[in-house]
Amino acid sequence: MASIRAQFEIPGKMKTWSIALIAIGILAFIIGLVTKATHGEHGKVEFIGTLMYNSIFFTLVCNASMFFICATTLAMGGWQIAFRRVPEAISTVVPWFGGITWLILFYVVVIDHNHHIYHWLDEKAVDGDNILRGKKGFLNPTFYLVWTTLAIGLWILLGRRMRKLSSQADEKAMDAEEGQRYIWKNTVSAALFIVWFALTVGSTIPWLWQMSIDAHWYSTMYSWYTFASSFVSGMSLVALFVIYLKNKGYLEFTTQEHLHDIGKFMFAFSIFWTYLWFSQYMLIWYANIPEETVYFQHRVLGPYKGIFFLNLIINFVCPILILMKRGAKRNYTLITFMAVLIIFGHWVDFYQMVMGSLSKEHVTLGWLDFGIAAFFVGMIIMIVGKSLASKPLVAKYHPYLKESIIHHT
Amino acid sequence: MHLKYESQLREPLVTGNKDYHQVTEDICRPIEAKPTKLWYVGFFIAVTLLMFGVYSVYREVTYGIGQWNLNKTIGWGWDITNFVWWVGIGHAGTLISAILLLFRQGWRTGVNRAAEAMTIFAVMCAGQFPIFHMGRVWMAFFVLPYPNTRGPLWTNFNSPLLWDVFAISTYFTVSLLFWYSGLIPDFATVRDRAKTKLRKLLYGVASFGWTGSTKHWQRHESLSLVLAGLSTPLVLSVHTIVSFDFATSVIPGWHTTIFPPYFVAGAVFSGFAMVQTLMLMLRKIFVLEDYITLGHIEAMNKVIVLTGSIVGCAYLTELFMGWYSQNKYEGYTFWYSRANLFSPYGWSYWGMMACNVISPQLFWSRKLRRNLFVTFFMSIIVNIGMWFERFVIIVTSLYRDYLPSSWSPYYSPSIWEMGFYAGTFGLFFTCFFLFAKYFPVIAIAEIKYVLKVSGDNYKAGVEKEEKMPVEEFVHEYAH
Amino acid sequence: MAKKTFVVGAFSDEAVLFPAVKKVRTAGYKIHDVYTPFPVHGLDHALGMRETSLHTAGFIYGITGTTTALSCISWIFTKDWPLNIGGKPHFALPAWVPITFELTVLFAAVGMVLTFCYLCQLAPFVKKHTFHIRATDDLFIMAIECTDKTNTDELQAFLSSTGATEVNLQHAEAGWWYGRYDQEQQLITEPKATVA
Repeated sequence: MASIRAQFEIPGKMKTWSIALIAIGILAFIIGLVTKATHGEHGKVEFIGTLMYNSIFFTLVCNASMFFICATTLAMGGWQIAFRRVPEAISTVVPWFGGITWLILFYVVVIDHNHHIYHWLDEKAVDGDNILRGKKGFLNPTFYLVWTTLAIGLWILLGRRMRKLSSQADEKAMDAEEGQRYIWKNTVSAALFIVWFALTVGSTIPWLWQMSIDAHWYSTMYSWYTFASSFVSGMSLVALFVIYLKNKGYLEFTTQEHLHDIGKFMFAFSIFWTYLWFSQYMLIWYANIPEETVYFQHRVLGPYKGIFFLNLIINFVCPILILMKRGAKRNYTLITFMAVLIIFGHWVDFYQMVMGSLSKEHVTLGWLDFGIAAFFVGMIIMIVGKSLASKPLVAKYHPYLKESIIHHT
Repeated sequence: MHLKYESQLREPLVTGNKDYHQVTEDICRPIEAKPTKLWYVGFFIAVTLLMFGVYSVYREVTYGIGQWNLNKTIGWGWDITNFVWWVGIGHAGTLISAILLLFRQGWRTGVNRAAEAMTIFAVMCAGQFPIFHMGRVWMAFFVLPYPNTRGPLWTNFNSPLLWDVFAISTYFTVSLLFWYSGLIPDFATVRDRAKTKLRKLLYGVASFGWTGSTKHWQRHESLSLVLAGLSTPLVLSVHTIVSFDFATSVIPGWHTTIFPPYFVAGAVFSGFAMVQTLMLMLRKIFVLEDYITLGHIEAMNKVIVLTGSIVGCAYLTELFMGWYSQNKYEGYTFWYSRANLFSPYGWSYWGMMACNVISPQLFWSRKLRRNLFVTFFMSIIVNIGMWFERFVIIVTSLYRDYLPSSWSPYYSPSIWEMGFYAGTFGLFFTCFFLFAKYFPVIAIAEIKYVLKVSGDNYKAGVEKEEKMPVEEFVHEYAH
Repeated sequence: MAKKTFVVGAFSDEAVLFPAVKKVRTAGYKIHDVYTPFPVHGLDHALGMRETSLHTAGFIYGITGTTTALSCISWIFTKDWPLNIGGKPHFALPAWVPITFELTVLFAAVGMVLTFCYLCQLAPFVKKHTFHIRATDDLFIMAIECTDKTNTDELQAFLSSTGATEVNLQHAEAGWWYGRYDQEQQLITEPKATVA
């Protein structure tokens, strides 16, 4: 009887890589600060905008891990227990990235009061604009800040609660009654998180953070679209770490069968994202109301044309063609490739959502974007690595673990 | 062979100490026995309603749409409300059979057959409304694209109404195929038990000569899986396209981008409520409590509270955007015509809110989820609420046009409009009663498939595995 | 199709069936088929069957549907009878997505079901030999095909030693024919021997 290899040790390479990426990010930040942020309003908007969409994207992607845990808990899923510590570890990034996002948004709204980013911060303009004046009840710095703080704060607190509960399954074997109680406690906490998630990511937060950049424009789909984008990237991130750990010889309970199911999530939610994308785009295209088409005008016909179609190719055409086959979802290399592609694709999607509104005349995608992204990727590698090492990789006494071990699709 | 194991914490899906043969017996019993009095009463009522419906439609066809109280701006009234309502109800069947199959929710096996039947009958009912709404129903074939002598003037492929034609007919066809391919093995079971010649003949024909060959089962499983995979986006597309009927327009309250997913969630919501209504009756009348357990009821109630909350989230999003957009027409529709209780149709909006968003929150409580009476009551409430939703969307957006000169008088349906609706209930229940009598209402083969994992008597058999330390368990059973 | 001789064994538990299949196959006998009341996971592999490629057929049908829809609509609206609808371009791709999607699904589903019925010879009024009436109820029925050289008595004894609860010899049609289930099967001879 072999014992379980449950203790992750951070390999030196992982450390080096994360530090290198973070260093690149900091370097890009400093160069950006010197060459862009201090060179006129355009450069500054580009610089801050880049920080904004990166931090928002990566925060939501990591938070999607906790959403995955809670959703599967509520659905009484058993299959994910074998690798559940992976999304748990990814969710420990949320306090860090949430903090960074909060700082950036606080800077934009309060310190800098940057109305080139959020037009509604310009009080004079708002007073002269009937529509913006009408929106004041929602689009004002106080509400923005309070709600942002609450949102991030509760994601962190409720997420921590779930992780704490998870640790209890490391301690001792549970009999049927204890197991029942344990599952029940998990269910309640998961429900709390999901409700808060619906009230923030599922509705208000994307309106505030991203949609209000186009202060006049509105779309009821916007938040669900953002959610779909971040969730499918979140699943891809889980897949990447699972494969990494498998390759290092950890997670012996996680097999191709589990990977297959993660692959199905990546496949299905890519299609779901496309569905929401199409619904939003087609309805606006069809009705052709100028107030609404203004959002797509420069994205489809203007300078963002390339990115617009690239977005569709990476996030729809590639997943549907490549991930459709059963073999593909069970192939470690292919899933790794697709996961990277999907994360990149949705990062580009966030890029065009934010920068497409801030810099309408020209596409700014360049070294700064990749540099800042490198910082966040490095942070993810470092923090997730540390979190993985801080706990056993498998919750040995989880009541559903055995189901997960014999799981097959 | 894989180890058949499921955590003991999970409720058994089949109770009452069944073995394979007992499963066959239990499910075939209603088919083989004489119908009960209750069945005759129900069937009689259903047929009566159907007859009334037929007469109402006869009036409409002979005398024209004027038999209905549609007016200048409310060109869609009860008819399209009912259409959307019935299509929506259909969605739960596909959701249970397809999406839950993909998600491997074992509890679907107890209810999928009846739910799929419900889907098919609901879609049949739904189809009546747009067809008879055409007025000159004998011209209905004009919706089909074929080379013709009218130009050749083709159908308008850019019109959501034509998308509907394709969506509903595809949905009906695929649901029927899915349902029937699942029925074939069960018909074979009934056939092999048949005592009379007529039964042998009919079930023999219906079973397509099924034998249970391993190769056939292998193909059958592959077929089910792919059909499930196809049905999942299909079911989403159907209500999506129904929502496009509204959302592609520029009418305030209709043109909103969240409509597609929100319609789908609402459809699933109402469908599950209808499944609950039917299942609670089925399990009682046919003594199927061992197969449709409290666990099944609870699982469905969870779906109801989930989808109800998603719908609620969408309602609030819309309402918020009605204000946030600062578009005065949107604002008028949402905040005057709908959310204002004292506007002419304000009652319907608040009825919808109460039934769809507020009352399902009861199901956060485990106790209420497992209470049969509450469940039955709520299932009716939700169906009423979802009818209100469609009524709200259609009527409150239409009754006041942009110009006050074309505001319409208060709309209430005529007796023939209501009769038509009642008639579809008749059609639905007539079909359902016939189904319940002559078809296996529970998928026999699928119950047998989960029996050794989830049957209460078999669950005790894995005591040893349950107690085993995880290291040993892995050593024994991991692949 | 032709009549053949089969040694038929009934098993009441799939846990006994699996080792039995293995033993029979190792002993070199040819299993004609195993009839089960529900899909038994892994049995197809135990019998050495290859994976079905039904889903590949489904994919091809689906693609056919997509192509049909797109080519028809675009021909009609750009070549045959272009119309100005709401000021949209003649080639109004976003508006065609719904119908294209529906036809993809329709073609795939209908095509697959027909292929399935064709491959499994399933149709109304098709009849096949029933080796055991309880194969659709609670028994797992293994039919072993005999050749001229097969010692059927030995085989029957062997089969019951693997755990079959009921063993007999049948001389029956191996394929399908048009027939009705309310009429007696003419194609089967009475089982000769039964070993408990």
